[in-house]
Amino acid sequence: MNSVSSIVFYVFAALAVGSALVVVTSRNVFHGALALTVSLSVIGGLFALIGADFLAASQILVYVGGIMIIMLFVIMLSQQPLDALQRQTNSQWLWGAIFAAAVASALIARFGEAYKTVISSSGMVPTSAVIGRLLLGDMVAPFEAVSLVLLSALVGAVIFGSSAKTGLPK
Amino acid sequence: MSLYHFLVLSAILFSIGVYGVLTRRNVLGILMSIELMFNAANLNLVAFNHYLHPGNAWGQGFVLFVIALAAAEAVVGLSLVLAIYRNIQSVYTENMNILHG
Repeated sequence: MNSVSSIVFYVFAALAVGSALVVVTSRNVFHGALALTVSLSVIGGLFALIGADFLAASQILVYVGGIMIIMLFVIMLSQQPLDALQRQTNSQWLWGAIFAAAVASALIARFGEAYKTVISSSGMVPTSAVIGRLLLGDMVAPFEAVSLVLLSALVGAVIFGSSAKTGLPK
Repeated sequence: MSLYHFLVLSAILFSIGVYGVLTRRNVLGILMSIELMFNAANLNLVAFNHYLHPGNAWGQGFVLFVIALAAAEAVVGLSLVLAIYRNIQSVYTENMNILHG
């Protein structure tokens, strides 16, 4: 059982990292968005692998089914034919790569030895009931705050997205 | 498969997102890289919850809030990108310089 989940982990991790690299390097931003869809779905699979079944479902529903669809719509609305020929990275890509490698190696070195021996001690249990009681119990104040944030985001998106004049100079 | 594996994976995903934010010219590419960084942080939260505190679900509750706020951020950000595109016909960051002075 443990070796099977290790194989699943390595396959999912390779898929997630590979498609994330496509997201940041591909010249066509539409292909980048499709690769991001793969990456988010695979991370949902990793959530399911470590027992977060409700989060795996909401990852697929909200990210893949919601955010990525909106993002693909905006990409299709704002692409110009010449974009395929343009360079998509700025002139600082080498320094960006060095900085990102420094961040990754610092994080890995910091997290290194302490957590290598921590292995899972619990089996798979359904988490929906626990999360529901948590959200309407101890976390009820941030839960209500998030509903207000979502409402204001909705209003803001309608205001910014309306075709009335936004006041920016041409 | 220990907690270390998940921490390394999320560190790699986070730094890929950092690279994308630093080097993309396209605003939509920057927004997608930010989503990658959110997901690396979410993976960290879920892994810590599963390995160190298996009895409760506080980490998973946090991840739910992060997902909800990421949806709000994406919606507002993308409508801002569309509003800017309607005005300057470009999604590249070096053209968004009307506050330049």
